[in-house]
Amino acid sequence: MYQEDKNCSDKEKSWDDYLKAYYEKPSSFKSWSGYDLKEIYTPDDVPKDKYQKDIGDAGQFPFTRGIHANMFRGRLWTKREVVGIGSPADTHARLKYLFENGGSGLNTIADVTYEMGLDPDHPKAINEVGLTGVNISSKKDMEILTKDIPLDKVSWSLITASTAAPVTMAQYIAVAQDRGFDPAVLRGSIQNDPIHFRYCGFRPACPLDLSVKLGSDVMEYCTKHMPKWYYTTVNMYDLREQGITAPQEVAFGFGIAMCYIEELLRRGLDIDDFAPRFTFYVSCHVDIFEEVAKIRAARRMWAKLLKEKYGAKTEKAMQFRFAVHTAGCSLLPQQPLNNIVRISYESLSAVLSGVQSLHCCSYDEPMCLPTEKGHLQALRTQQILAYETGVTNVADPLGGSYYVESLTDKMEEEVLKIMKQVEDLGGMKAAIETEWLDHVFEDEAVQRQKEIDNNEKLIVGVNIFTEGLEKETPLGVQRISPQSAKQQIEDVKELKRTRDMQKLTDAIKRLRDDVADDKNAIPGMIEATHAMGTTAELVGTVRKVFGYHYDPMEIIESPFNL
Amino acid sequence: MAKTKEKKIKAIVTKVGLDGHDRGAKVVVSLLKEAGMEVIYLGLFQTPETIIKAAIDEDVDVIGLSYLSGEHLIFTPLIVEEMKKNNFDDVLLVAGGTFPVEDIPLMEEMGIDRVFRAGSLTAEFVSFIKENVKR
Repeated sequence: MYQEDKNCSDKEKSWDDYLKAYYEKPSSFKSWSGYDLKEIYTPDDVPKDKYQKDIGDAGQFPFTRGIHANMFRGRLWTKREVVGIGSPADTHARLKYLFENGGSGLNTIADVTYEMGLDPDHPKAINEVGLTGVNISSKKDMEILTKDIPLDKVSWSLITASTAAPVTMAQYIAVAQDRGFDPAVLRGSIQNDPIHFRYCGFRPACPLDLSVKLGSDVMEYCTKHMPKWYYTTVNMYDLREQGITAPQEVAFGFGIAMCYIEELLRRGLDIDDFAPRFTFYVSCHVDIFEEVAKIRAARRMWAKLLKEKYGAKTEKAMQFRFAVHTAGCSLLPQQPLNNIVRISYESLSAVLSGVQSLHCCSYDEPMCLPTEKGHLQALRTQQILAYETGVTNVADPLGGSYYVESLTDKMEEEVLKIMKQVEDLGGMKAAIETEWLDHVFEDEAVQRQKEIDNNEKLIVGVNIFTEGLEKETPLGVQRISPQSAKQQIEDVKELKRTRDMQKLTDAIKRLRDDVADDKNAIPGMIEATHAMGTTAELVGTVRKVFGYHYDPMEIIESPFNL
Repeated sequence: MAKTKEKKIKAIVTKVGLDGHDRGAKVVVSLLKEAGMEVIYLGLFQTPETIIKAAIDEDVDVIGLSYLSGEHLIFTPLIVEEMKKNNFDDVLLVAGGTFPVEDIPLMEEMGIDRVFRAGSLTAEFVSFIKENVKR
């Protein structure tokens, strides 16, 4: 077994080692998710009538080969790098920088305090304002974030996943209204998948009933008022980052998606009205063929699920639309420039899968937030793919490969098995409530580490070809300005001192009453946002109606005497 | 595990602040247990005060901090200060997570005995702990 002490990289190699390397064979013939692969795939591996029955051309049901007939000839994918650093002004500056360098979609991510539904002046928030994304506590912050950007023209992806997502939606709509735009003209998406976010450390902010309620409120509101807006990006990427396999990613993502769909149907919405604006966030890990097969299978399965289970009639309602985030957990701080290569392969698999929108991780992901240079390099990776490699010429270029078709079938079969298992447990909500899913994630994550420990999975810089500690981060280190964080805290304190408390209290009362009457929370949240209500105040008011503590951290009380 | 004669090493593994990336911390808990240690996982949203109080109450040999949100330079000094304040500084303090290499010496200066980045192998951190427990 090949082993190397990381602290002894200067070990001398003998020429016997050279001979060993010369005759070396791969040590494993399994896919990343652990499936045995044959040495060659032939026509015998694909059923004869498969193409007509189950594959079809791109743009045709079940969309195995893509949702558009001409794929990238019609439009390139959106080059949408995630941005979120410190204050709204810091984040705005980076957004502009990427836009000026050829980014084609705006994409901002909320910081940990915002996602948790805390204002920056909360005692648990003050140390972490802006560390992992942009901090927004009021309409004023959203104004700064979107300053000078024509909201009627751009496509903006708002990454707030938790029960703070309806607040983000309200803040974005409120700012657009102030600039004279009807929400109907807004184009973009919001992540709005609070159910999955309990697995990302946000459990206090995302109790299941509140997640379904507020997530579905955003979906319902956007379906009725914002026809160009994608109202959820069900985040199977984050689930995959927990260490699970490719088919588990799809099965659990679909399970969560079905929770929202069933709530929207319960509310009386028509599947053909709302399903066309449903989207997913998918991981592309480092096994190129398995990721392509996974996504092709997901596309086919989603189309069948929508048609057969939910009775969708229009093609748009059956199409699996997705963005890809290259796998952050595949990246390493050891020999960090190697990450650029990993990201290139991962983004290649996204494009070969017919992705609609792509975020390439920056190479410095396992060290810090992206530096400007790191961010630009990630964007350049996308541009090389789009303009140099020729992968945009032909729809589904791997379709028809005996191997890829067979692996697509295998992925579908495995996803179905897991979905059946979840169904037998009593459905996704039961799998969540009984913490069955938590145990799956924990067991799989331990398994992934053991695969590396015992060299079942080889990773350059970790268990093969190791070197000593590098001297510096090649393109520098991104730091969050402590001044920006302090300013955010001061700004929200100032806002709370100076706003019209009567007007705000009236708006908060309306929000509370709407939620208590089982009405949609979004109109009340928009009104409260115009009245300078903060993120924590809006979320907290709804939490109380549901019987939860006003503060997810259970420290502060509501400032409103209702 | 065969090491019944030796005193079991007792460790606390914890997250600090709001950072919710807990995959690594939970994996480390399982692997330290498999390596024969007694491990208490404090979970999310801990503060320097809750961590050190638990460490004293449980009389642990090791405290393992998991940082993945760039909060390591903020919380580490607060934790070390809390240890000193309680005269509980003969414990092994290790950290794991995502850090720029430039921060490793800074964290060591602050009082962390060893920093393990993503990509560390189990054998590395298990043997470091076994060889360096101070009590």
